[in-house]
Amino acid sequence: MRLESVGKRYGLRQPWVVRDVSLDLPPGRLIRLEGRNGSGKSTLLRVAAGVSLPSAGRVTGRPHTGYVPERFPGGLPFSARDYVLHMARVHGLRGTAAVRGADEWLQRLGAAGYAGQPLRNLSKGMCQKVAIAQALLSRPGLLILDEAWTGLDQAARGTLDAAVMERVADGGAVMFVDHEQARLAGRISERWRLDGDGRVSAVPGGGTDHPTAANEAVVIIELAGLEPGSAAQLATLAGVLSCDGAAIRVTAGLSDDVLRQVLSWDGVHVVTVRAAQAGGR
Amino acid sequence: MIALLRYQTAILLRSHRWIFPVIAYGLLISVGAASSTPLAEGLDWSAAMLVPVVAFLTRSMLTAEPDAARACVAAAAGPVRSQLAALLTALGTGVVAGLAGASFTVLTGESVATHPGSGAFSKIDATFAHPQVLTAGLATALVCLLVGSAAGALCNPPLLRHPGAAMLATLAAIILALAANVSPASAALRRAGASPQTASWPGGVPLLAAVCLLAVIWGASLYAGARRDTRAASAT
Repeated sequence: MRLESVGKRYGLRQPWVVRDVSLDLPPGRLIRLEGRNGSGKSTLLRVAAGVSLPSAGRVTGRPHTGYVPERFPGGLPFSARDYVLHMARVHGLRGTAAVRGADEWLQRLGAAGYAGQPLRNLSKGMCQKVAIAQALLSRPGLLILDEAWTGLDQAARGTLDAAVMERVADGGAVMFVDHEQARLAGRISERWRLDGDGRVSAVPGGGTDHPTAANEAVVIIELAGLEPGSAAQLATLAGVLSCDGAAIRVTAGLSDDVLRQVLSWDGVHVVTVRAAQAGGR
Repeated sequence: MIALLRYQTAILLRSHRWIFPVIAYGLLISVGAASSTPLAEGLDWSAAMLVPVVAFLTRSMLTAEPDAARACVAAAAGPVRSQLAALLTALGTGVVAGLAGASFTVLTGESVATHPGSGAFSKIDATFAHPQVLTAGLATALVCLLVGSAAGALCNPPLLRHPGAAMLATLAAIILALAANVSPASAALRRAGASPQTASWPGGVPLLAAVCLLAVIWGASLYAGARRDTRAASAT
């Protein structure tokens, strides 16, 4: 996907919010967008997500897109589950795949207990989980996150980190804004900065290439207190190579995400974490 | 598109935004049917009342979704398609209301037969024995549906964003659509009402004009929705 000389303003006599932005978002990239308040980050994300058409230039080759807005107020007359289910169909999932996707993501984000609640009764954090669930369940080729971590509890932040890395590992492009400087540190492919007049520049040395599975070291994590249910879920986490009883093999780059996720489960304890020996592959 | 229509229809039904326009329509056509009128005149009345009903249904659909929810749908399906689904849902609900109104009028209006029997079935028989009255009435209703939808789309977000101005403009547009000589709805009603006993075809010109009007205004509304989104004030 590519943005070519994209500009955006909200009316002919309005100032340009972003201007002359040319960007490549190749598959498998994790891009962080930075800039002070009011510099046009949200606007650029909305144009990249296809929510709003650019006033100048064009966006080409955009894959199927999931978008998580900055705030997701309830206000639609649905329960959380019905809303996510409707969105699953809008995202092109059919029949049982839509139901499975909706339930899986509400479960993963820890919102399953509130699935039957009307959206307008949900807290800010729970609404945010609903917005994240609808964006992720179709496994989109482009994921746009506008401060999606804000308001989430620890476990859900870990789940979202892991979900972002899953999208990247699947060859999806992810572009995000977050006020937390350390968010996904070490995984980011590129950092882009919006300066005051709406132009974008790359932050030099801002990204470290995401290591590919081929050249990556492996970490072995031994766990205690695993239930059969969580053992099955373990195998679906991004970066988990294999599960052998209580010992799991994880790519080193994603081991923190996996640990964070595992630590959020009740009754599961981490016994050891060690690097796999070179011959042990 | 089917998923989008399903989503928009669910919003309309569950938000209860359909209740006011549909009940108002029911009351209006009941008033029209209270005095025993010729079928052609009753059908014209039920067609004319579709203009406010569809305009307000369209207003309901264009203001139903919070911005953030609309953005999520727009990312998944495109901003144009998602707004088109909202406009089509309002128009489709208007079609259902119009068909229900026409059926009610056939059952309660004066029979078109010269020696009418009693009962609903003889009225239906008589109506289908003289189909030109019903088709003329339905064609007029179609013109009114299209004009009502155009009025609703023109006077509401994203073309007109100010909430108070949108409400007043919608009312004004409805009155103009029914009263102004240039309005296709008014032209169709005048043509049809020229000979109330026989009911004449509203004519191709009003129908064509209504289709063109709807296409232009829907196009402008879809363009504005995709291009000038609603974050002008707080763009970050």
